[in-house]
Amino acid sequence: MNATPWRRLHSRMIWVDAVQSVVSLMPTGFAVWVVGMEPTLGNMWPVLAIAAFGVLGATADALRWVFTRYRVTEDYVERRTGVFVRRYRSVRRDRIRSVDTEAKLRHRLSGLRVVKIGAGQQSSAGESAFDLDAVHTDDAAALRRELLWGEAPSAPAPAVDAGPAALEPEEKQVLARLRPGWVVYNMFNIWAYLMALGLLWGAYWLGTAVGFDVGGFIEGLVDWEALGWGRSIVVGALVVGAVGAVGLGVNFFTENWNFELARVPGENGTLLRTRQGLFKTREVNRDDTRLRGIQISEPLLWRWMGMADTNVVTTGLDLWSMSQPTTILPRGPIGVARPVAAAVLGVHESPLEVPLARHPRAALRRRMWWATLTAVAVVVLLGWLAANDVVPFAMMWAGVALWPIAVAAAVVAYRALGHAVSGEYLVVRSGLMSRQTTALKRSAVSTVAVRQSLLQRRLGLKTVAAMSAAGWGAYHAPDVPADAAVALASEAAPGLLEPFLVPQTSGARERDMPSRV
Amino acid sequence: MTTSRTSPRAIDLRPPHHRIERRAILWWTLQSLALWVPVLAVMTAGYVLWEAARPWLAVALIVAGVLAVISTVVEPWWRYAVHRWEATDEAVYGSSGWLVREWRVAPISRVQTVDAVRGPIEQMLGLSTLRVTTASSKGAIDIVGLDRDVAAEAAERLTTIAQMTPGDAT
Repeated sequence: MNATPWRRLHSRMIWVDAVQSVVSLMPTGFAVWVVGMEPTLGNMWPVLAIAAFGVLGATADALRWVFTRYRVTEDYVERRTGVFVRRYRSVRRDRIRSVDTEAKLRHRLSGLRVVKIGAGQQSSAGESAFDLDAVHTDDAAALRRELLWGEAPSAPAPAVDAGPAALEPEEKQVLARLRPGWVVYNMFNIWAYLMALGLLWGAYWLGTAVGFDVGGFIEGLVDWEALGWGRSIVVGALVVGAVGAVGLGVNFFTENWNFELARVPGENGTLLRTRQGLFKTREVNRDDTRLRGIQISEPLLWRWMGMADTNVVTTGLDLWSMSQPTTILPRGPIGVARPVAAAVLGVHESPLEVPLARHPRAALRRRMWWATLTAVAVVVLLGWLAANDVVPFAMMWAGVALWPIAVAAAVVAYRALGHAVSGEYLVVRSGLMSRQTTALKRSAVSTVAVRQSLLQRRLGLKTVAAMSAAGWGAYHAPDVPADAAVALASEAAPGLLEPFLVPQTSGARERDMPSRV
Repeated sequence: MTTSRTSPRAIDLRPPHHRIERRAILWWTLQSLALWVPVLAVMTAGYVLWEAARPWLAVALIVAGVLAVISTVVEPWWRYAVHRWEATDEAVYGSSGWLVREWRVAPISRVQTVDAVRGPIEQMLGLSTLRVTTASSKGAIDIVGLDRDVAAEAAERLTTIAQMTPGDAT
């Protein structure tokens, strides 16, 4: 195997780095020679930071290119890298689950792609992804085919001039495409203000840099004196919010441009593939054989407009990754999320649309207890602090005001509860701030747990949890009636509980004495 | 493709067959003492030395004292009454807890590792914890308070069965 030559990453990277250095120096040059800004550290630091960041990054990247080699042998994919600390990584080819390509703007402009090789690494265990940054687009496609379908890289490629799309065996079944209307669901959230602050600060800085009187311009817009303080703040908040919302809208389109969710053939079975992005493109392939279910979350504050996030429940995908590989649809209407989820699962009667069993009123009572106890605890704590002159006595009213909010939250949380067993799937629904409906394949359930606290025992409730290697690891059906809990647990993992089951002896069951063996 | 709404089969889980060692009560008591004695000592020292803090330290001291007594005197005996375990050729079944009780069943076919773990106090008392992990990060079963030899024997037996069961355990 040692005969296989080591390959370099694509040499065009050096050019890209050089161009990046020049581009990142341009704002500084612009500021000094065109605008004629006085070159002091005080007013120059933002452009200097951009310059330093760009040049250092490009230099580091070029050095990385010099010291990186990779090769694909019969059994392994290997990579050597590192300037000061040499690192060697190898991945067994039969462990490879996915080969994804990604491109930032600079990669797209230069026809390069980042190849990410997924082999079920667990980033929680500190394993980083195996990526090759970057290779030529054609090489990336060839690598993908070689690693996923086992085609030799030297095999003649007759479809070279037919474009990259023709290089793949295309029998794809498109499940969803971007609908422009989804932008509405992505414009309004708290990040809008952060986005607006960034944008406005940038505009302000640029304005002052070119000698534009920003303060005077804003003062001249409206007669602020006549508006008064209160209204001025309201107007300001609205304008800033609007800027942020527009910013988020534009961001949504650049991120999800040409979004497509499709089922495509893979090495063994099919893959669930998403593609999206305008400047930075991203393609994620998820092995269908590792799909264990689907989860739809509906944020509480936006439930009236039917906002939903759709995620797959699979093994071997990193939930904490910034690229959110489990998300298969952009945030959008529930009316789209449900049919797409059904199509992804490939079942006729979608488990996410079956009527769910309501949980008993006692579950509401339990939530009421907790809401009330929390409010009482806060009031007592504030009272004690007030008695010690830490806070004024009036603060206790804040604790009292908390009670109706907590009770309302209890009702919302209670109404979110539901469970069902539908065909191959266990369906559970719960959640206060975000109502999450999860359909989990029953065959994927490993450990089953039934829990009961003292309060739950008094109220006749039990919580059933189904553990799985996929997704978040555990999915709960909180506060099921105590006499139905074991039946649900038994259905969630067919056959597992059978040897430990006994007919219900109502009332007397807690007193069963086990035989000593 | 039928949707079975909860039409509860009138079934229940029977308790697992085996109880844990009586020495476990002593183990829990010692563990609780190891935690609470230093905490109470520090608080008492604070109460004696730092006069300004006395009014609120007194409250904290009483609360801590009550908690310490409960977890040293009540909890071990309560837990001993609840904790049970059983391991068949198909599954590991354990019940545990005191204020919050839990019954857990893990199929051997999904078991990834079986270990007998011993902490310092457990070693002193000849006890051992049987830790069975599955592919799910939340799916592990800990069976505490087993005799050292029983745990080692069970770990060995379960490992053998798990190795004979096909599948990648996910």
